[in-house]
Amino acid sequence: MITVLAYVVIALALVSLGWGIVTAVANKPPGKAQLIYAAGVEAAVLVQSVIAAIRIIGGFRPAELATTIGYLIGIVVLIPLAWFWANVERTRFSGVVLAVAAAAVAAMTLRLLVLWTPA
Amino acid sequence: MTEPPPPPKRPAPVEAQPPVRPEPEPTVPAEPAEGPTTTKRTNSGAGRALIAVYGVFALAATSRAAVQIATRFSEAPLAYLLSAFAALVYIVATFTLGRGTPRARRIALVAVIIELIGVLTVGTLSVVDPVAFPRATVWSIYGIGYGFVPVVLPILGLIWLYRTRPQH
Repeated sequence: MITVLAYVVIALALVSLGWGIVTAVANKPPGKAQLIYAAGVEAAVLVQSVIAAIRIIGGFRPAELATTIGYLIGIVVLIPLAWFWANVERTRFSGVVLAVAAAAVAAMTLRLLVLWTPA
Repeated sequence: MTEPPPPPKRPAPVEAQPPVRPEPEPTVPAEPAEGPTTTKRTNSGAGRALIAVYGVFALAATSRAAVQIATRFSEAPLAYLLSAFAALVYIVATFTLGRGTPRARRIALVAVIIELIGVLTVGTLSVVDPVAFPRATVWSIYGIGYGFVPVVLPILGLIWLYRTRPQH
């Protein structure tokens, strides 16, 4: 975990959250740019989890190791699952699905920032 | 991008004509104005957003319970078993709502009712008797750790199951 990167992930996820709500209100399925953006957020999430994994392997021990590892793994699957789920049936609610995943990513990253304190 | 909708096809004047089906005409009587709700499935439309939220909670509750039981089960066995139970309820609700078959929606209904009872019971007990629930579960204090979504979710679930109910 790098604190700055965590805040970047939160900011990116919040934009994805807002974007999903905007397209839902406009009664449109998510556009191509929106889907690519979500993939970009996922990339940032992956980088964050990989960096954190490397630091844990390198000897860093957060106070709640098991919980932290659970979060680092769990946060990675959210956007891909939402992407798939949103694209099976493309309606305004696809945007809500992407927004839900983005909200969860933002919330989990906030929690990770708290968890990422040495034992 | 957004094409204008095609002009409505006017049925030709009464003539011998093969049955072309341009638009399903709302000829079925005694139907609500919304349209053919008979075909509404739990995994379509707004249901997909609801299922996404259920999925997030299935994931969150499962990971939480797994970590609690694996690392410190003896500290609060009741609370952690409850965590696991909540996780199971979320998993069942997610998959049955996601399937949307008549049988699946019956199971979903049971799961969502159990979820509502669970969150209200555990929520109330954790407020009234915090000593009995020293460790947090997803349902503690009506899901305060998750923005109270756990208490709203089963209500939305019941509304959705009602709105997609089979018409007879």
